[in-house]
Amino acid sequence: MSDSKLQRLVKMTNQIALNMAANGSDEIVADQVAQHLEKFWSPPMKTLIIKQSSMADIGLTPIAKLAIEDLSKMQEKKGG
Amino acid sequence: MLEFYEPQADYGTPASTSAQLVTLSIDGVKVTVPEGTSVMRAAAESGVKIPRLCATDQLKSFGSCRVCLVQIEGRRGFPASCTTTVEAGMEVKTQSDDIAKLRRNVMELYISDHPLDCLTCPTNGDCELQDTAGELGLRSVRYGFDGDNHLAAEKDESNPYFTFDASKCIVCSRCVRACEEVQGTFALTIDGRGFESKVSAGQAEAFMDSECVSCGACVNACPTATLTEKSIIESGKPEHSVITTCAYCGVGCSFKAEMKGNQVVRMTPYKDGKANEGHACVKGRFAFGYATHKDRITAPMIRDSIDDPWREVSWDEAVAYTAQRFKAIQAEYGRTSIGAISSSRCTNEEVYLVQKMVRAGFGNNNVDTCARVCHSPTGFGLKTTLGESAGTQTFASVAEADVVVVMGANPTEAHPVFGSRLKRRLREGAKLIVIDPRKIELVSAPHIRADYHLPVRPGTNVVVLNALANVIVSEGLEARDYIIDRCDVAEFEKWKAFIADPRHSPENTEQFSGVPAADLRAAARLYATGGNGAIFYGLGVTEHSQGSTAVMGIANLAMLTGNIGREGVGVNPMRGQNNVQGSCDMGSFPHELPGYRHISDGATRSLFEGEWGVTLDAEPGLRIPNMFDAAIEGEFKGLYCQGEDIAQSDPNTQHVEAALRALDCLVVQDIFLNETAKFAHVFLPGASFLEKDGTFTNAERRISRVRKAMPPLSGKADWEGTMALANALGCKMDYSHPSEIMDEIARLTPTFKGVSYDKLDQQGSIQWPCNDNTPLGTPIMHIDQFVRGKGFFAMTEYVPTEERANRKFPLLLTTGRILSQYNVGAQTRRTENSSWHAEDLLEIHPHDAEERGINHGDWVGINSRVGDTVLRANVTERVKPGVVYTTFHHPVSGANVITTDNSDWATNCPEYKVTAVQISKVTAPSNWQARQKSFDQQQQKLLQEARH
Repeated sequence: MSDSKLQRLVKMTNQIALNMAANGSDEIVADQVAQHLEKFWSPPMKTLIIKQSSMADIGLTPIAKLAIEDLSKMQEKKGG
Repeated sequence: MLEFYEPQADYGTPASTSAQLVTLSIDGVKVTVPEGTSVMRAAAESGVKIPRLCATDQLKSFGSCRVCLVQIEGRRGFPASCTTTVEAGMEVKTQSDDIAKLRRNVMELYISDHPLDCLTCPTNGDCELQDTAGELGLRSVRYGFDGDNHLAAEKDESNPYFTFDASKCIVCSRCVRACEEVQGTFALTIDGRGFESKVSAGQAEAFMDSECVSCGACVNACPTATLTEKSIIESGKPEHSVITTCAYCGVGCSFKAEMKGNQVVRMTPYKDGKANEGHACVKGRFAFGYATHKDRITAPMIRDSIDDPWREVSWDEAVAYTAQRFKAIQAEYGRTSIGAISSSRCTNEEVYLVQKMVRAGFGNNNVDTCARVCHSPTGFGLKTTLGESAGTQTFASVAEADVVVVMGANPTEAHPVFGSRLKRRLREGAKLIVIDPRKIELVSAPHIRADYHLPVRPGTNVVVLNALANVIVSEGLEARDYIIDRCDVAEFEKWKAFIADPRHSPENTEQFSGVPAADLRAAARLYATGGNGAIFYGLGVTEHSQGSTAVMGIANLAMLTGNIGREGVGVNPMRGQNNVQGSCDMGSFPHELPGYRHISDGATRSLFEGEWGVTLDAEPGLRIPNMFDAAIEGEFKGLYCQGEDIAQSDPNTQHVEAALRALDCLVVQDIFLNETAKFAHVFLPGASFLEKDGTFTNAERRISRVRKAMPPLSGKADWEGTMALANALGCKMDYSHPSEIMDEIARLTPTFKGVSYDKLDQQGSIQWPCNDNTPLGTPIMHIDQFVRGKGFFAMTEYVPTEERANRKFPLLLTTGRILSQYNVGAQTRRTENSSWHAEDLLEIHPHDAEERGINHGDWVGINSRVGDTVLRANVTERVKPGVVYTTFHHPVSGANVITTDNSDWATNCPEYKVTAVQISKVTAPSNWQARQKSFDQQQQKLLQEARH
C-alpha cells in the first residue's frame, strides 16, 4: 500500500465531511459521513482507512476522524 | 420493424391540439377534426390527398404555391386549402374541372423553369414535384424553355453531406421555413424579388461558409432534388427502412435507417419519434459513415503484451484466452482483482449483461460505467432530494415553460434537437436565464436573447444556486402551500434558516462567483414569479467537486418555487451520451443493482440471486478511479472495458495510462482501436448501433428500440460477445435475443415491470416507471407526490474547490463539446463532420491573449498542476477574462492530460470543469503529445501486423 492511496482516501473523507458539515452537530455529521462511506466504498478502502486511522494521525479532520471511528463500529457490528 | 421504403406520411400542415371538434364535409364525406385544422389536413386525415408543393406538416402553412386550391360552397374563388381552416358545416370540393385546370396551369409554370431530366435525377421516384406533376396530369409545357430561366444556375456542393442544385429550385420556401421554424438557425433566406427570387445561404454564401449547421431540416423539407443527400446521389433511392434510435447524444432521436440491402444510404428523422418529432442534427442525420469506416476492426485479436503484435483469432479463441487469463488473475490476486467498465453508448441489454457478468461471474461488484464521469452527481442529488435518479419531464414539456433556466449546458451544441425545440419556445416568448461561464449560443442567437446571463466563475455554481434561493426566501417568493403540501416541512425550515443567512445573499456572493448581484437578484425573481419554471442542466453542473451539491441546489430551487410535478416545469438533466440514463438504470454502478437498489439490501439481492442462481457479494465494488488507483497499487489486475475510451475521456491521462499499463489483462470491446485499446491484451470487435437489437433510454427516461439494420460486421453483437465471455467464465447465459434480456430486467426491476419489446413496438417508446400503476409509462414524474414521499431540502454549503488559480496557474480552464463532434470523437472524427472541427482549439479572451502576446491561431502551451499540452488559440470574447475553454474530441489534443483527478465529494465524478492553468505561446508539441504520437505509431504498426 502506498502513501498516495491512503492520502486519496483521507482527502475524500475530509471532503465528504466538509460537504456534510452543515447537516447538523458533529455527531450527526460524523454518522452521515460513516453511512456514506459504508454505502459507497469497497471493503478494502474501508479497512485501510480504519486501520491506518487507528494507528496514527493520517490527516483526517476531527469530524472525519469521528466518522471513521463510527465506520469502524459499523464494521465490527457487521462482522460480529 | 422492416418496411419497404416509403416516404413518411405527410398531412400537409401541422396537427391542431384543440380539444374542440369541428365537422365538415369534404367531397361529400363527413369529416370531424380538431378546431384549427387546415382543410388540407382534414382532407388528408379522411384519406383525400390534395396536391401541394409548399406545404408539409412539419411547417406552418404558407400558401405560396397555389397548387392546393379547392372550392368551398358559398365562398368566392379558389382558396388555398393549406391556409384555410375548417369551419362547422363547411362543404369542400377538392376535385373539379375548374380546379384541375387551375392546378395544371400553375404546375405548367413551375415546370417551364425546371430541368426535364427526371430519369437521371437523383430523386427520381422520390420527388414531390414529379409526383404532383403526375397527379395533375401535366403532359406538356406550352411556354417552351427558351425564355429567361434558372436552368443553368450554379450547383453548391460545398456541404459534405448534401448538394444545393439551384436549377431545380421552385422557390417554395420550405427550406427557408424549415431552417427558421424547425431548426431555428435562420441561415437561409429568399434573396431578390419576383423572377429573381432565389434561396440563399447566409449573405449569398456557399452553404459551408454560411451559418448553416447542417441539421438537414432543409433537405427533408425540399420537395424537389434541389437539396439532396450526396449519399442518395451516389447510391440511389433506398429500398427498405428500419426504425431505430440514434446512438449519439442523450436526446435519443428516432430515425428511419434507409437501406439498400445492408448499406445505409440515408438516416431520416422519424416524425413519430417523440423525442425529436422529425428533426435531427448533423451527427444523427449524416454522420453514420463511421459504421463502415476502414478503421473498423472486425476480428477478435489477442496478444500477451502491449509491445507484441496483435494476432487475429476466432471468437472462441479470444473468449477462451480471456477467461483463462481472468481466472488465473483471480486465482493469484483474489476475487476482487478484476472488474469491468461499461458504456452509455451500449444498449440497456448490453450494460445489464456486463453488470450481471461481473456480479454473477466475477463474483464481485467491481463494475462501473462512464456515467461516473458525467452524471453520477445527478443520480445522487436527485435521489436524495426527490427520490428518483432521473429527470422529471418530457422534452415536449418545454413548450409549456414560461421561464427556462439553462445551467452548465449548451443545448444547441450538445443536444441540438432539444436546442431547436427550446429555441422555438423562446421565440414564442418564454424568458431565459443562462448560468454559464461562457456566452453560449443561447445568450444571443437569431431572435433569441437571454433575459439574464449569469457568467459564473468556474467552481462556484453552488454559490450562485444558494444566492438564487436566498433571494427567493428572503423576499418571500417561495411557494409556501406547495412546500407544506409536498415537502418535509421540518427539513425545509432547517434549510430555510441556513439559506436565509446573509452570507448567501447575491451582494455577498458576487465576490466569489463574479455574478453581478443585481442580475442574480432579478433572475431569481423571474424564476420564482414568471410562471412555469423549467431548469435544464448539464455537465457544467455535475463535473465539479460539488457536482452533487449543485444538483441538490437545483432540486431545492424547483421545490421552493413549486416547479415540479406538471407540464412546463421540472428538473431536467441533459444527459451527455445516448444511454447515460439507461446505463445508470441497469445497475452499472458498483453499489447498486438495476433500479437503483443498494447491493446491501438483502431482499433485493435475494431476488437477483434467485434469478441468477448465485450468491452475490453484499459490499460495494470499486468505482472507476478506485480501479485506477488499485491497478497502480498492484491490487487490481484485469479489466473488461466495453465501448468506453477511458484513456481519452477520463481525467489526468497520465494517471490513467499508468493504471492501464499496470494491468495484466485489459480486454477492450470496441468498434475501433481506440486509445484504451492500445493498452489492451484482448480486443473484442464491437458492433455499431446499426448492427444490433436493443434499447436506449434517453434523458426523458424514454426507452426506445434500437433495431438491427445490418448484420454485425464481426459476426456478434456486443451482447453476444459478453454472453460468450460470461459462459466461458462459468456464468451461464443463454439468451437468443435481447428481448429476453429485457424480459429478465422487467422481472427484476419494479420501474421496468411493464416494459417489453412487444409494448415498445406498439407504443413506439415508453418512459419509465412503467408498471401496474402506470402501464403506459410516466411522462411527467412526481405529479401528486415525490417518489421519496416528501421532498427533501438538502443542505448545500459552499465548499470551494481545492483547484484554485494562483500566480503560477492564473487562469481557469473549463471544457465542453461542439456540435459536429461527439465525446471522444471516435465516431465523428471518422466522418465528414471533421470538416467543421478538425482540431480542438483553446478559447481565450482577447485581454488574456494580449497579455501573453498570443494571436488567433498561435500554438499555445497549456500547463496545469498535473500536465501540459499544446493547442491552437482561438481568441474570442465567448469566454470571459480569466477563463479558457477547450473541447476534448481529438486524442492528440490531450485535453485530459491537463485535467486533475479532483472529483465530486459524493460520487467521484471528475472535476473536468475547473483546472487552474497557465497559457503561453510555444512552437512545439508537448512532451506528452510527442510520446502519444510515437505510441500511436507503434500501436498502429502492431495492428497492421495482425492484418497481414
